[in-house]
Order: sequence, then C-alpha cells, then structure tokens
Amino acid sequence: MKYAPLLLLVTVAVLIALPWLVSGSMLNAAVQMLISALFAMAFGLLCGQAGMLSFGHAAYFGVGAFAAVHAMNAFGGEGLLPTPLLPLVGGASGLVSGLLAGYFSTKRTGVYFAMITLALAELLHALAPHLKTVFGGEAGVSSFRMPAWGIGFGSLNDVYFLTLVWTLVSIGLLYLFSKTPLGRLALGLRENAHRLRFLGYNTHALGTLIFAISAMFAGIAGALQSMNIEAANYVVLESHISTAVVLNSFIGGVRVFLGPAIGGAVMTFFGHVSSDLTRVWLLYQGIIFVLVMMFLPRGIVGELVERIRNPSGEGLARTISTLLARLASLAIAAFGAVFLIEFLQRVLSPEYRAGVTEGNWPDIALFSYDWAPLSVLPWAFGLGLFGFGIALVIMVNRRVAARKEAQA
Amino acid sequence: MSTPILSLQHVHKSFGPAHIIRDANLDVLPGERHAVIGPNGAGKSTLFHLCSGQFAPTEGKILLNGKNIAGLKPAEVNRRGLARSFQITNIFPGVTVFENLRLAVMRKHNLQFVFWRSAARLRLVNEEVDDLLTKIRLTERAQTLASQLSYSEQRSLEIGMTLASDPQVILLDEPMAGMSHEETDYTAGLIREITEGRTLLIVEHDMSVVFSLAHRISVLVYGEIIATGTPEEIRGNARVKEAYLGEEAA
Ligand SMILES: Nc1ncnc2c1ncn2[C@@H]1O[C@H](COP(=O)(O)OP(=O)(O)OP(=O)(O)O)[C@@H](O)[C@H]1O
Ligand SMILES: [Mg+2]
Repeated sequence: MKYAPLLLLVTVAVLIALPWLVSGSMLNAAVQMLISALFAMAFGLLCGQAGMLSFGHAAYFGVGAFAAVHAMNAFGGEGLLPTPLLPLVGGASGLVSGLLAGYFSTKRTGVYFAMITLALAELLHALAPHLKTVFGGEAGVSSFRMPAWGIGFGSLNDVYFLTLVWTLVSIGLLYLFSKTPLGRLALGLRENAHRLRFLGYNTHALGTLIFAISAMFAGIAGALQSMNIEAANYVVLESHISTAVVLNSFIGGVRVFLGPAIGGAVMTFFGHVSSDLTRVWLLYQGIIFVLVMMFLPRGIVGELVERIRNPSGEGLARTISTLLARLASLAIAAFGAVFLIEFLQRVLSPEYRAGVTEGNWPDIALFSYDWAPLSVLPWAFGLGLFGFGIALVIMVNRRVAARKEAQA
Repeated sequence: MSTPILSLQHVHKSFGPAHIIRDANLDVLPGERHAVIGPNGAGKSTLFHLCSGQFAPTEGKILLNGKNIAGLKPAEVNRRGLARSFQITNIFPGVTVFENLRLAVMRKHNLQFVFWRSAARLRLVNEEVDDLLTKIRLTERAQTLASQLSYSEQRSLEIGMTLASDPQVILLDEPMAGMSHEETDYTAGLIREITEGRTLLIVEHDMSVVFSLAHRISVLVYGEIIATGTPEEIRGNARVKEAYLGEEAA
C-alpha cells in the first residue's frame, strides 16, 4: 500500500499524456471510460459505502445529461456558465433530484429501497417521451460546445481534458468525502442503521443526503456524457444504463474506494473493443459478472487489495508465477469459450440461416479460418481448448493447495 | 425523596393479544444504580425498548426529567440524555473498533451532516475515543474489525458505545452475559466508575453483580414489577423469593 501514491501519480501522468499516446478512436473510448468510471464511483458511494443498492441510477445520470444540454443551449457557453463549468449544472440537477428521490427511497431499506429506486427511474423513463419540451422526443436535444476561456472545445483533445479534469476532481472530492464525519456515517448506515438511531442520529436524513450526493456525482457524469456527444436523448434513462453501472461497480469491487472506477473503465474498454468484433458483448458482460461474483466476490480491485494486505506467504516470485500460470490457463479456457460462443452465434444468426439451402451448410469464417459447421472439428477445437484451460487451472490450484498443506 | 429522573407510570405493552408489560410503575432516582431482575421472558428487555424509543407503550407515561418520552423515536430519546446497550450485541461489525467508537462519539459533538471537515482531524473526538478505548481495555484492538473481536470484547465495545454520548441515564441490558469471571469483575468496576454522577438502569442475571452493584433493585415477573427496594429488602421479600430468587437458589 505504500506504493499507492506513486501508482496514483503514474496513472495521472499517463492519463495526461494519453492524447499523444493513442489513436483518436482510442481517445474517444478513453472519454467514455472516464465517464463510466465517475458514474460508477457515484454509485459506489451509495452502494459500497452506504450499503444502499440502487437499481435506478440512470435517472440521475440522465437528469444531469439533459440539464447540461439545456444549459449549454441557454447560455451558449458564455457568461455565468462557460463551457468548462457546465457539469456544475449536471451536478446541481442531480443533487436536487437526488434529494427528492432519496427522501422517498431511503424511507425503506434493502430490497424495498432497490425497488423504489427502480420504480422512480422507470417512471422518469416512461414520462420522458411525453415531455417533448424537456427531453426532445425521439430526436433528443442537441447542442454545441462553445469556446470559452480561450479553449475551443471543438477538438477531441479538449473534450478529453475537460472530462479528465472533472473526473479526477470529482473522484478526489469523493475520496475526501469518505474521510469526513458524514462519509464515516455512510459506513455506519451500511453496517447498522438501527444502532445509529440509538446513538442519536437521524438515519433518514443521513440516507437522503448521501443519496443526493451520489446522485450529484452521477449528474456530473451525465453532463460530461452529453457534452461529449453534444446531445442528450432519453435512451440515457433506459434501465440497461442503471444495470450496467451496478454490474461494472461490482466487477471492480464496490467496497474498495477505486473499485467501481476501475470496473467501469475496464468494462467500457472491453465494450468498446469488442463492439467491432462481436455482437454478443452483453452476453460476455453477463458471463464476466457471474464469474467475478462466483470466484472474486470482492471484485477485481477488492480481491487485489485483499491479496496485498494478506499476502499468501509464498514470497513474491512464487505468487507472481502462480498468478501468471492461472492467467495463462484462464486465457486458454476463455479463448475456447469465446470461440464456441462466436461460432454458435454465427451458426444461429438469421443471415447465416438464410444462406443454408437443402442441407448445404456453407463454411463459417472465424479467427481467419473457415470452419464447416457440420464437422466435429470446430466444436472439438472450442470445447477442447476450454476443457484444456480449465484442467490447467485445476492443476495449478491443486499444486498451490499441496504446497499449502506441506507448509502446514 | 428527590424527584425521579426516569419514571414509568402505569405502562402497558401488548403485542397483539400478548400482554407483555402489565401496569409497570418504576421510579429511578438521579444518581442511583438501579437493577431490574426477573426470570427469562419477564419483559425486562421490552421495558428497555419502551424507555429507549424502540417501541411505544400501549398505555402509560414514561417521564425522563419530568417530560414524557413515550413514543418518541430512539434518536430523540438519545438526544434527551438516555443511552442504551443491547442484550444481543449491536455494533458496526464491518468497520474497526476505533470507527465504532468514533461514530458513537461524533454525535455528542453535533457532527452529523458535516462534510467539510476531516474526521481524522477532530482532536476532541479522537481523544475521547482513545479514552474510551483505554476504559474498555480495547486500545490494542483499535484497528481490528469489530466482527473479529471475541464475544466478550464485543460486549465491552457495546458498553463503550453506549457511554460515548455522555448520557445522563444509561440502560445496560445484560452487559456481562458471556464474560469470564475476571472480565465480569473488571466490567462491574468499570460500570461503577463510569456511572459516577449518572443514573444507571441495568438488567443482569448474575446475582452477585446485581447485589453488589445496585443501590436499589426492581423485580419484574410476567410484565409486572412485584417489588422495588434495597438489596437487603429484596433478599428478604417473600414474594420475590417465591417468584424468582427461590427458583434460582434451588
Ligand atoms: N416484538 C415482539 N413481538 C411479540 N412478542 C414479543 C416481542 N418482543 C418480545 N416479545 C415477548 O415478550 C416477552 C418478554 O420478552 P423480553 O425479551 O422482554 O424478556 P426478558 O425479560 O428480557 O427475557 P431474557 O431474560 O430472556 O432476556 C417474551 O415472551 C417475548 O416472546
Ligand atoms: Mg432480555
């Protein structure tokens, strides 16, 4: 943990240098990653720190997105609200809507809380198409980023830096928040709200306030999103946005501070990369979530932190070689699985089915080879690799277990 | 006789058809250590729940410093100077011992909706937490997760958290349950020390603790207070012997 500040510094330095390191398309993905990271951090405050699982966080993201677009149109990026400060509008609208929604939803806990957040978000989503003046109907509301403070905001670089600054500052503020009395009370709320009441705290007011602060940062993320694409459409209110932030945060690790950010960034990156390569990205996202929850219940970052805090006692070299062996075996299994899924998806796709005539099944190109779907070969290849990878994982695990036994 | 600091007047509590507290009358005097004893299921914890705002009484008044607190919310009762511990350990399991106490201490300093100060720099709060840690003998365990404490350590933490708000009236529900002899002795001494200048209402099954600690004792049987008096009076009370102490001795 003593390397944490150094690691942080390097990360920030890389992020600042990024426009000179990667292509434009990658930089675009990086903007999305930053926004996802901030959105997940906002969710993490509520779910990870205060223990309130919201299924409707798209609502506050969306409110922030629309508020920013309207402010962009109203002020033209000048005067009181120059372009770089527009996310403040997103934050303010998130805060206000969060106070309102938080007031009602935090009257209940657990499943009932989750259901209320879901219902409120669905309510907004159902209303949006009918409120054309606010949500712009199917076409949405569009706008233009205007120059301000001597910055053009026309280029991708400018947008990237705007997003980067707001994301880093927001995450920094969230960190500081977690160290304040109210931030500590969020943990108390998660751990035992009943006890807090008997210590004299107003748990409903605490819950409402923390909900609102989470919604505020979600609103900032939403504003960054609409500023990036210079538009907002009511699809940002759809429930899959709410679901994605839950899954991303848990994959990263909702109880460790940067877990949700890493989860959001990594999954958005995968989404970006694979959207060109596969049509079943959502399936992979689901599989990754299930696997992480089954084998790394603390999330990726949570598990990493846990390993660093409680080292296995095998020494660094051993630990790393075991880790590499595990990763390599998993990569083989994953390749096998991906091969099978992609092959199956192609066989089952309507385009392919249309090409099948009278028992004549054309070959399918996958990973630069042509495979005959009726032959055993592709199936055996995928299954074989998958089985081989899993067998390797089991072998590695057995070895580790044997070593542990020998030590004990 | 001085006016009672806590006074239960004709208090009843029913859960549906079950009449658990029947016309309880109890005066707790300022500065005294008052024990409530009685067989299992007599309603002792229910009585505490009524005084602390967990439940509202079905009927009757509960006066704290002369003001009716019956039916107030737990937080409000706490703010008026009454703090309690729980029979079933009620702590913040997933955070450190230090954090448990800090959360408990902060309220007294009106630190609730404060998001512009660092909790680590609250000198007074930290000093008080350290002080409490010493008192409950958990200084060494300050950075341990509360869930990883032993059962009796958790009981000590529970007492520490109850003390944290510097209450006038303290309700302790079986604080020594599950403690060893040495721990029980130490905790009895601690309770004696910390309740100096305060008022204590305690439920405890360990009769040696009760009789040495309490100035006065009330006996609760089937939701009724059948006797209140000094330890000597209670020892000599025929009804008490029959209803409760007799069966303990047998
Ligand atoms: N919420 C409730 N609903 C219904 N009945 C309850 C409730 N709480 C307590 N009771 C009943 O009230 C009676 C008294 O319970 P209470 O916990 O107050 O007893 P106690 O004197 O503290 O016992 P013990 O010595 O075992 O702690 C019991 O019969 C219990 O089942
Ligand atoms: Mg009890």
